[in-house]
Amino acid sequence: MAKQSSTDMAVDRVFRRRSASALLLQILSRYGVIVAFALMILVFSLARPHTFPTVTNLKSILTFAAPQMIVALGLTVVLVMQDFDLSIGSMVGLADGAAVALMVYHGVPWPLALALGLGLGVGAGLVNGFLVAILRGNSFIMTLAMATILTGVEYVFTDQAVVFQGVSQGYVNIGANSTLGFSNQVWIALGVALALWALLDTTESGRYMYAIGGNPEAARLSGIRTRTLRVSGFVIVAFAAALVGILLSAAGAGYTPNPGQYLLLPAYAGAFLGAACFRPGEFNIPGTVVGVLFLGTIETGLTLLNLQTYMINLVQGAILIVAVLLSTVAVRRP
Amino acid sequence: MSEQPASAGQASPALGGHAAQAVGSRQEPFIVIKGVVKRYPGVLALDHVDGVIVPGAVVGLLGKNGAGKSTLIKVLAGVVQPDAGELHIDGVHVRLHGPLDASRRGLAVVHQELTDVPNLTVAENIELGLGYPRYVRTFVNRRALRRKAADVLDRLGARIDPKSQLASLSIAERRLVVIARGLATNARLLVLDEPTASLTDEEINHLHEVVRLLRDHGVAVIYVTHRLQEVFAVTDDVAVMRDGKMVFESPTANVARAELIEHITGRKAAAASSPWRPPNGTTPREELLRVENLALPGVVEDASFALRAGDVLGIAGLVGAGRTELARLIFGADIAASGRILVRGRPVKVRGPRDAMRAGIALLPEDRRRQGTVLTFSVRKNITLPTLRRFRVSPPLPLPHFARERQASHELIERLQIKVAHAEHPIGHLSGGNQQKVVLAKWLDSGADVFIFDEPTHGIDVGAKEEVYRLMVGLAEAGRGVIFISSEFPELVGTCNRVVVMREGRLVGEFEDDAITESVLIERCYGG
Repeated sequence: MAKQSSTDMAVDRVFRRRSASALLLQILSRYGVIVAFALMILVFSLARPHTFPTVTNLKSILTFAAPQMIVALGLTVVLVMQDFDLSIGSMVGLADGAAVALMVYHGVPWPLALALGLGLGVGAGLVNGFLVAILRGNSFIMTLAMATILTGVEYVFTDQAVVFQGVSQGYVNIGANSTLGFSNQVWIALGVALALWALLDTTESGRYMYAIGGNPEAARLSGIRTRTLRVSGFVIVAFAAALVGILLSAAGAGYTPNPGQYLLLPAYAGAFLGAACFRPGEFNIPGTVVGVLFLGTIETGLTLLNLQTYMINLVQGAILIVAVLLSTVAVRRP
Repeated sequence: MSEQPASAGQASPALGGHAAQAVGSRQEPFIVIKGVVKRYPGVLALDHVDGVIVPGAVVGLLGKNGAGKSTLIKVLAGVVQPDAGELHIDGVHVRLHGPLDASRRGLAVVHQELTDVPNLTVAENIELGLGYPRYVRTFVNRRALRRKAADVLDRLGARIDPKSQLASLSIAERRLVVIARGLATNARLLVLDEPTASLTDEEINHLHEVVRLLRDHGVAVIYVTHRLQEVFAVTDDVAVMRDGKMVFESPTANVARAELIEHITGRKAAAASSPWRPPNGTTPREELLRVENLALPGVVEDASFALRAGDVLGIAGLVGAGRTELARLIFGADIAASGRILVRGRPVKVRGPRDAMRAGIALLPEDRRRQGTVLTFSVRKNITLPTLRRFRVSPPLPLPHFARERQASHELIERLQIKVAHAEHPIGHLSGGNQQKVVLAKWLDSGADVFIFDEPTHGIDVGAKEEVYRLMVGLAEAGRGVIFISSEFPELVGTCNRVVVMREGRLVGEFEDDAITESVLIERCYGG
């Protein structure tokens, strides 16, 4: 017994010595984004003490980040299963354009227009899922093609014409009003975050989704319905994107062609930054929340510093590269 | 025997030892391998292996799966770095820094899986990575490229058009192209790993001619195969590996087929002491599974057998005989083209693993890394994956109860003696044997009555193997049915009460109780 424990201790010592050097890296990879986030807030607060650390600014950052947040949260679900969806920007536009066009051109009552907008999004998600999970198309190229098609469908509804009047007030209220001081968009983003966190981190389906992402063949041989779950992932992200389409058209009380395209890259950036914190190398909902807020804060802060647009671009890009590489390094050395 | 100088005096067999002595006076050895050791977690893949490779000799390298042949080849290919031992090329001690380094030094390996690029032409494949001839250092000179390729193909006596797309060739032709690529690097040693898998007799004969031609040009050849008739047809010298050691070496002409089989399997087979015999009760044992005329053309042909409660049914066969494929059809991992599966006498439609699981069938797949485990998951999450529904917070809510999962995992870790600090440890950090036990743990409490173990002892150490045997027998004792697929026949002989033999997709024999012997199984496998 004594001999055993002494060898155990030796093993322990070796292990600890090795891990001591790796510890910093591990902490950095796990909480690096959060540490950087905190530093950034500190820097911005010191540089702009009267405008940055204010409740007004907080609210504006949150409202600005909410649409990106909702799309990025939905995206996290498909990314967990190692699928891509590049059609989310077009899906935002489809729901936005369809709901507005139905209300303004066809006199459809706003609740029905809203439901149809969301329904179109879900339908598009089903098509994506069918192409990728059932017909086994490459998700990257399938959803890229679907993006073009969905924007085409959007233009069938709107004929690419800008709409700035005639949107029902009840509809506008959903996106433009505030509740308890925060924009409705922020509350909805919070709701989506909680729902998807519960899905991925507490339910059987969530566990299965992570298993599919880890090893699809082992998941299938363990009796998991891999195709059904992958299709539902595409439906979830599509629903989230359509929801954003509704919120954008409601908040703006109108429609501009292809309104969701600007959301595509921030959504991916947020989700990948999220995979760099809490659970390095794994997409996760709390991570995505932090990632999107981080990007939103940088953008707002740099704008408050009166930096040129090119500078904002450079800084944002550099931060993204560093953060994501950090998490990759940590995963490579378990 | 007496004609062999000094062979009896040799301390331990070495790869190519005789060929070296036979021509040693005339030619310096090309490669000398000295005491090479390679350790993997839980396995000693190479245990002080020696070898001498001389120009112009064909050495047949034999051994069961997992005997260490492929590791030795990987060492020669520069893919794997040995833990100890030396490699001398032309008398100089060298370290191979990777496949490119090995090929620069004249070592070419043709792997069992084709490593060519199907969308390029034959000529482009042959000269791949060697620097295509160019005009003004920029544009590929296709004519010169084709001429160079044609030269190499001529040396092989291969009538293949260098212009044709690789994808349009037969498997045999593609293999020749890969060999040609090795020659184009001016290889002095060519390693052929199972080169005749999936070739017709005629194609095999042609390949043998190519090998003899190369030998006559002074190229050394290591020929790895499972087919004994090929060994006698084409090699000058044979070497046998077992459990990471070089156990036998002789000129091919001096050895008999039966003797080779003995060396391959090991005379004193380290099997379980007494094979499982189901109790001879008066009541007939219930038939748990019946497979009728199951077929997937080209893979499994017309397979029929039955499994009763209390059976440990072995499926013997060589790699590629269709055993894994048969198991996958039964489990619904692949879908059979025709045939029926009956569970407890009732026909079951198996359209996927879920259907099979519902019918009470469990499959422990062969390739645990690719098919059995989720490496990003902890041990607990891997164990509970197929049975997660049992651990709900409350039956109608699909929310797993963490504490219950953990308790069940701990019980299984205890029961199977899985060596892991705690259940939350990532499974990727475990040794091969312990990972295999986690795969067992996944299914042990799944409520299945039919357990299909596909090569469950592959790559795990002797102690862990014994535990796996005991576990299978334990399941049979408890009235379940076990199907045990293995390429190591001693373990089938030592464990099973029935064995069926598969060859080229067909079931070609069935043996019961004391009729199961290693030599009988091997004869049947090799087509005796």
